[in-house]
Amino acid sequence: MISYFKEIIIGAWSLVRGLFVTFKNLFSRAVTIQYPTQKLSMTERYRGLADLRVEKCIKCYMCVKICPTGCLSLAHKENAEKKKEFEHFKYNMELCCFCGMCEQVCPTQAIYMNKIYEIAVYDRGKITHIDLLNTEKYGEWAHPTVK
Amino acid sequence: MDTLKENLQTEEFWVNMGPQHPSTHGVLYLEVKLSGETVVDLITHIGYLHRGMEKIAENRTYTQFIPFTDRLDYIAAMGNNLGYVLAVENLMKSVVNDRAKYIRVIIAELQRVASHLVGITTFAQDLGAFATPLFYGFREREKIVELFDEICGNRLTYNYMRIGGLQFDLPKGSDEKIRAIVKYMRPKIDDLESLFSSNVIFTARTKGVGVLTKEKAINYSVTGPNLRASGVKWDLRKDEPYLCYDRFNFDIPTGANGDSWDRYKVRIEEMRQSLRIVEQAIGGLPEGDPTVKIGRIIKPAPGETYMRTEAPRGELGFYIVSDGSTYPYRMKIRSPSFSNLAVLSELAKGIKIADVVCLLGSLDIVMGDIDR
Repeated sequence: MISYFKEIIIGAWSLVRGLFVTFKNLFSRAVTIQYPTQKLSMTERYRGLADLRVEKCIKCYMCVKICPTGCLSLAHKENAEKKKEFEHFKYNMELCCFCGMCEQVCPTQAIYMNKIYEIAVYDRGKITHIDLLNTEKYGEWAHPTVK
Repeated sequence: MDTLKENLQTEEFWVNMGPQHPSTHGVLYLEVKLSGETVVDLITHIGYLHRGMEKIAENRTYTQFIPFTDRLDYIAAMGNNLGYVLAVENLMKSVVNDRAKYIRVIIAELQRVASHLVGITTFAQDLGAFATPLFYGFREREKIVELFDEICGNRLTYNYMRIGGLQFDLPKGSDEKIRAIVKYMRPKIDDLESLFSSNVIFTARTKGVGVLTKEKAINYSVTGPNLRASGVKWDLRKDEPYLCYDRFNFDIPTGANGDSWDRYKVRIEEMRQSLRIVEQAIGGLPEGDPTVKIGRIIKPAPGETYMRTEAPRGELGFYIVSDGSTYPYRMKIRSPSFSNLAVLSELAKGIKIADVVCLLGSLDIVMGDIDR
């Protein structure tokens, strides 16, 4: 009989202690934001999609060689003055693992990761065949602010 | 009553649990043989998340494999980064400077806290504490994840460690941020503990459930908090110190009974010890440049190595055989969750079906780590 009441008291006390923790949190500030209307700014080192500063690229193929998933494809030809010219520079974002090693290995900081993170599209071709030479390629996607 | 029991014919039957089950922490399929509500036999089926990481490693250079290690134990990606990088460094006998070592320790220990927060709160969620503690845990973890985002640029797949050092130095002002996190985290861990430990339902459902004895734990090569909960004082950070763990003061929490309660308690205590290490490490952070240039061509001398580290879930080992080329000849990953899951079928025998979920939650497995 005593143990029966003891159990009730212990149970009630545990409820009070548990509720005390939740009560403390009841008046703390919300940590979430209202996403589509409010947006977080990205950190300085955030790795979004691969992007290219076309004029800086020297076609050394370092990024293509270091890429663990093989999502970059580059080809060049030599013109009459024996200078390298782009044939194509494609980026398959579907394969990309956003490791950022292309950015690190690039000797001229030509390839870099931008801050775009909202990357849903209706047309799959838009993410599998991104033409890095096209300066308007990410024009329609939202560019977040940087902290 | 006895005659009634004799007359009632009961039959054992199989129940499928998973692969799409919210309490299996991923895609785990359990075949449970039941007699009434009691588990008679339990068969685990794994492999639903198999990506062939060990084979992938043979076709990647040493540097290229670092992002893949993030995808092993994805709750504690920094721990895998660290384990792999240390193994390659061990193979190459390369030396890392002190600042890089200290930052690695800080990062690894913060990752341990983040991982245990997920482990404990999902465990409570499995026991029916729906959503509230889980979100408390995730809110606390968010602080650490945000810090990692600032340090290395991603929230889950960090790819931060490099062979011979680190990708980046700590950004300006992160010392203060890390100190603030340690200060913030301590009362929050106390809160979580009082939320669970004082709860009679939590206590009743974990105490004495799934007792893993010392001998059984060693025989099944269970490691990490699960082993320590069984009373074995074995922690690679103390027993086989790597990086600079021998310079810090910390205790190894152990349990007495090896039940689910002890496994939870050990994790709570481990978080506190991790914060202690972080505090000491950030206090004595040496000057220097921890960054290294990304190793495009890494050619270790022919040979082999096995390097094990204390990941949040236990002993994570990388066995690498090098034939002198830029690719590893063979890589074997000894993942902690695999051994920890192996003991499940042994522990589950004789307990109730509802406690299987409790047992699985207390073992704190990650399927990415098991299937690889």
